[in-house]
Amino acid sequence: MNRRRSTLILLVLACALLLAVTLAGGLLADGAASADFTRKNLPPCFAFPFGTDWMGRDMLKRTLAGLSLSIRIGALTAALSGAVALALGAASAAFGGWVDALISWIIDLVMGIPHILLIILISIACGRGLWGVTAGVALSHWTSLARLVRGEVLQLCRTPYFRMAQRLGVSRKRLFCSHLLPHLLPQLLIGLMLQFPHAILHEASVTFLGFGLSSERPAIGNILEESMAYLAAGRWWLALLPGLSLVGVVMIFALAGERLRLLLAPASAQE
Amino acid sequence: MKKIIIFLLSLTLLASCGRRNEGSFSSEPGISQPLTVVLPPACEPTAGFDPAFGWGAGEHVHEPLIQSTLTVTNPDLTIGYDLATGMETSQDGLTWTVKIRDDVTFTDGEALTASDVAFTYNMVKQTSSVNDFTMLDRAEAVDDTTVVFHMKTPFSIWPYTMAVTGIVPEHAYDPASYGSSPIGSGRYVLKQWDRGEQVILEYNPDYYGMQPRMEKVTILFMEEDAAFLAVQAGEVDLAYTSALYADQKPEVLSLNGQEPVTYSLLAVRTVDNRGINLPVTMSSPTMESPVRQAINMGIDRQRMIDHVLNGHGTPAYSVCDGLPWYNPVNEVEYDPEGAKALLDEWGWPVGPDGIRVRGTSEMRLGLTIYYIVGDSVRQGLAAELANQLRELGIEADIKGVGWDSAYNDALFNPLVWGWGAHTPMELYNIYHTDPERGTARYSPYSCETTDELLDAALACPHLEQSYTLWQQAQEEIAEDVPWVWLVNVDHLYWVRDGLHVAEQKIHPHGHGWSIVNNVDRWEWNS
Repeated sequence: MNRRRSTLILLVLACALLLAVTLAGGLLADGAASADFTRKNLPPCFAFPFGTDWMGRDMLKRTLAGLSLSIRIGALTAALSGAVALALGAASAAFGGWVDALISWIIDLVMGIPHILLIILISIACGRGLWGVTAGVALSHWTSLARLVRGEVLQLCRTPYFRMAQRLGVSRKRLFCSHLLPHLLPQLLIGLMLQFPHAILHEASVTFLGFGLSSERPAIGNILEESMAYLAAGRWWLALLPGLSLVGVVMIFALAGERLRLLLAPASAQE
Repeated sequence: MKKIIIFLLSLTLLASCGRRNEGSFSSEPGISQPLTVVLPPACEPTAGFDPAFGWGAGEHVHEPLIQSTLTVTNPDLTIGYDLATGMETSQDGLTWTVKIRDDVTFTDGEALTASDVAFTYNMVKQTSSVNDFTMLDRAEAVDDTTVVFHMKTPFSIWPYTMAVTGIVPEHAYDPASYGSSPIGSGRYVLKQWDRGEQVILEYNPDYYGMQPRMEKVTILFMEEDAAFLAVQAGEVDLAYTSALYADQKPEVLSLNGQEPVTYSLLAVRTVDNRGINLPVTMSSPTMESPVRQAINMGIDRQRMIDHVLNGHGTPAYSVCDGLPWYNPVNEVEYDPEGAKALLDEWGWPVGPDGIRVRGTSEMRLGLTIYYIVGDSVRQGLAAELANQLRELGIEADIKGVGWDSAYNDALFNPLVWGWGAHTPMELYNIYHTDPERGTARYSPYSCETTDELLDAALACPHLEQSYTLWQQAQEEIAEDVPWVWLVNVDHLYWVRDGLHVAEQKIHPHGHGWSIVNNVDRWEWNS
């Protein structure tokens, strides 16, 4: 089995795992919220591998539901910020001049503000909750990708084949669709994949700080925030297992992103 | 040479540190042993120890310790005297004449006279940010020991306001600095205040009453988990805690062969209640009183206490359980079958999925119970209540909100509230119609009979007689059930074995300074 093949298998496995978590969490969302005080504060056991909390909620279901919610928010924000990045990056490079200056200035501005602060501000302005978090993460994470796209487009515009096509009078639309996009796509996809861990972690932190998802939702940030009070009482499983799961998911995403890069942009893989 | 000096210095320092630790760990009995108490950070008075800016008064009432008050509340929450020696009300209730002691001095040596009292009341009327003094017209010192309060409207429960208003010295009161360097005539003197950390109180040797038994009291402000860790380290004598930690058994290992420090859990009965409002509006399913009555009798309060409070609480049936103005008519038996029958009878039969629907109109009997985010007790109560309501066939969800929107949400949905004050005024605030809104202030409800009875209770010239009127108003309220009261949350404390905490009055809402109301009467057992 060659290296490319094993990479592919790993990538498929990682994606399947993430998909499974997303689906399972979505299906378990109802069970995750139901409180049953007859089984509260159980340490991890066979029936409840992640234990239960002080309201008798199943922590495994809550963790899965939380991760699923995080991944879905991650997907939404990655798609949104990817679209913004592509549009602004391409426009910046293609039009040049004052458009380029303006867009670059906006990129610098957004990058200059600490992410978490910006997300909190946007989230509060959008009324918190699901849309607040999504807007916050999406509007703060497009910058580096936009810069990358801009650079790529600038570079591609100077390639001989592109100039040739331009001289031959190929329409702008066709130039973009058949000469630019195919070269941009790998970079964009990898960028999107690598955006997931950021999005998930930021969603969890903003929720943890109380500016994100409302507290009755089983989100990882809420789970960790609630578990803080119980650490001194010795209920380690409330924070540790969901926390490790979050780290696990983030690492799988990072891993999948890396593999994707190896497959799609082999030229840069050895750098 | 220099090095040697530094070395010797650090040795002495180390030795003194060791001694200090030994001191705090020793279980040596004695009056002079200092006391360390842990309270929540929110208890630290932001504006200092100034009665005009909330010290002692406001939502979380307690005795101001540093200042004297005219009256005090007795353990059974009737009125007793501190500075006052007698009081009279005019027949129209518009004048209160209070005689005060003549042997009281402030800690700066000046005598406390009626003009200090009048000054204090006229001042807090202008500036108090937390207490309502709008019923007071002015206070007047007739002679050194007589003060007369001229009221704008009769206010039968004025002695309860007097019990939380600390008297400040007219000659040494500067609003800018009084909060951080208060001069009073109370049992204790503020010795030191490290903001965000601790307050050190020392006894007032010139105090006119019984000499305090605890000479030095240190109050530390800590979060709940830090307080528990401080107990586990054996560093404090009494620390607040909650049901969350109540099943733990803190025991400090013995150091240097000394006896191990052990702690016991102290549960203080409270009127620190939690309850939900049931909006009485056209759009709400709780518009009809039988639905509200069914909820009131269909919930198992004891199960709620066992589940959410780990058993540390009492069932609540009103906002004032156990206080002199409480009417036992509020009590209801847990009767789920009766509740279901009542709902059936009132046209809410159980639909195909177990949820009650209104006849043919497909309107489902459902409630969303709001709770305050970050308050695990209220969240737990909301979840348990939702579980119990589902057993009755009522569709129930829970939703967490912040205080920024909670007041508004409560106008349309049930919210888990916490109340419980040492004054009947709370009944008025919760149930009386607000003339501006046309309904009660916190939850839509308005009843003319209730309003009349509450107004009569306030206008009554005699405090003791007013208790009866407050009780009558509750009869009306108990039929309407605009609020359903769930539990009174016990206030829990870890107490170092050997420390005797004096008898506590029923604690009001707010798990804070109330415990040290009578810290001067606490003792170390020998």
